[in-house]
Amino acid sequence: MKGLSKLMVVAVIFPFLFLLLFSSVLAQEKAAADIKAELPVLLTSCGQSPGPIQLKAIMTVKRYNVNIVPVLSLFATADTLIALKNAGNPVKTIIIVTGASLKGMGAAGISIKDELERTEKLIAEANKQGILVIGAHIEGLDRRIMGAAEGDNSDELSIDAVCPKSGLLLVRKDGNPDGRFTTISKNKEIPMIEFEKNADLTDILNNLFKKK
Amino acid sequence: MADNNVYIRKIILSVLGFLLLIFSGISFYKHRHLEEHVVLGEGVTEVKKLSDYFDGVKGTINDCNIYILEGKEPGATLFVMGASHPEEPAGRLAPWIFVENGVMEKGRLIVVLSANRSGTTVTRLGGGYPPDYTIPTGWGEQKFRMGDRWANPLDQWPDPEVYIHYPSRQNLAYVDIRNLNRAWPGRPNGTLTEKTCYAFMELIRKEKVDIFIDLHEAELQYPVISTIVAHEKGHELAAVVSMVLTDMGEFNMGMEYSPKSLHGLSHREVGDFSDAISLLFEAPEPFLDATRGKTTREQLLTGKDEFIVKAGEHGLLFEKIDENGWPIDVRVGRHTSAVLMTMEIWTEEHPDMSLVCINVPGYAEVIENGIGYYLKDPFRANPERVIIE
Repeated sequence: MKGLSKLMVVAVIFPFLFLLLFSSVLAQEKAAADIKAELPVLLTSCGQSPGPIQLKAIMTVKRYNVNIVPVLSLFATADTLIALKNAGNPVKTIIIVTGASLKGMGAAGISIKDELERTEKLIAEANKQGILVIGAHIEGLDRRIMGAAEGDNSDELSIDAVCPKSGLLLVRKDGNPDGRFTTISKNKEIPMIEFEKNADLTDILNNLFKKK
Repeated sequence: MADNNVYIRKIILSVLGFLLLIFSGISFYKHRHLEEHVVLGEGVTEVKKLSDYFDGVKGTINDCNIYILEGKEPGATLFVMGASHPEEPAGRLAPWIFVENGVMEKGRLIVVLSANRSGTTVTRLGGGYPPDYTIPTGWGEQKFRMGDRWANPLDQWPDPEVYIHYPSRQNLAYVDIRNLNRAWPGRPNGTLTEKTCYAFMELIRKEKVDIFIDLHEAELQYPVISTIVAHEKGHELAAVVSMVLTDMGEFNMGMEYSPKSLHGLSHREVGDFSDAISLLFEAPEPFLDATRGKTTREQLLTGKDEFIVKAGEHGLLFEKIDENGWPIDVRVGRHTSAVLMTMEIWTEEHPDMSLVCINVPGYAEVIENGIGYYLKDPFRANPERVIIE
């Protein structure tokens, strides 16, 4: 009788938990599908990885057929947003690509601390202006702690600075093997679009920016 | 009696030392003078010398061959450089395949197999490197010189206490005064290495090169690996090439910026001192890792090493490795595919300046058939189409 009740608990609880998790994922996917982003879009980085360059290429080169011309500013600050607004060309969407490059930061003579401070102020100003912030991670494990030097957690710091404060997450699947972005999405109720290949961003960006 | 023993010991040691000198001297001589044959493929339309562009290198060991593959139709000019670091054999064998097999349908391809030819005549001093390696082919074996990261001290010596790079005046490691990839853009009245870089810059300017690619290999403990390092003029091209190659699923290819403040490297200086887009491709080479086991020909070609696998288990590597290692076919295939993809992406964006190359195998084909399949038998080829590299 005792074994039977355990079995019943398992039979009821596990499907319930599964449904809960599944419905949560479905809800996030539906919420992501409902999000509409507007132009102009500003592309920037938190960590100075080449991700924003890759994203810009997807938006502009013929092969990907997206045809959006973004404002690329790798070191965009709160003042950049204010200046664009004052010039009558207010930014409607910001995509911040996470992931750190020591080569990129070293070349610019800055540290991850500088990047985190800049990003914090940038997101604060974006929120003030009602700009949609999209956190993106598109370079896979190369921009995760698993692909970094021992003791170098700058990739994870950049993810923490952006993703929990975003309105939408764009994440390449091979950069999320530990479910880090899934956890942020679930805990913060942030819609997330996960994709297999960079080429998949064609449809994702077209849907995001061009649907009625 | 005691004096006699001392004399005998001295004589024996002197004879042993002399024998060591003889045998090592023979080994060094054979290495330096090993003749490598290149069979010119049907796509090679002209072979020049580096001194055709700057006579300051004429008569020196670095007056290397310049292979030109003129396309049937006009287009852009791509320059692929091998053996900037001659201890990275995939960076030399990949362009070798282009020279012996490639045909340009559109555009022009310029290929160098021994950019630092002096560096192909010596290995790491005291490193116990093999002096050569052989690639099995359908007609036998082809032997290649193994090289070093730096020019041979026989050709450029002595090194200074401090190497001050020209023209940036940045202080670099003293030994890098013989490192071709720390001497760009070079100068006409400098060291042999600086003159060589200057000659290549003259080539790039005179031939109006649009894209310059420097092929390398890197140790797995070095963070810049399996990637394209791109000058800002080539950011978009490198971004798309890296994404498309990665999306294809055959191998992962990253992208890194060329730091503006790091001088002497081709990806920085070629872009700064010419109109060309400069890119540098890195493939993995376990042979270069400091934690490697035996430094043998087998390790060089198979890329298998249990000590490096162990380093990976401790999270000390920036690229994966398992018991299958990183065979030379895989490393060469990465480079041929990456060069071909660069041409394809460039052509998509510049249809009026196309680069179309045929008959060169990509990653999967090189792995399936092996490099040797694409190396031609110099003894059965038309002697007029055989060049000593």
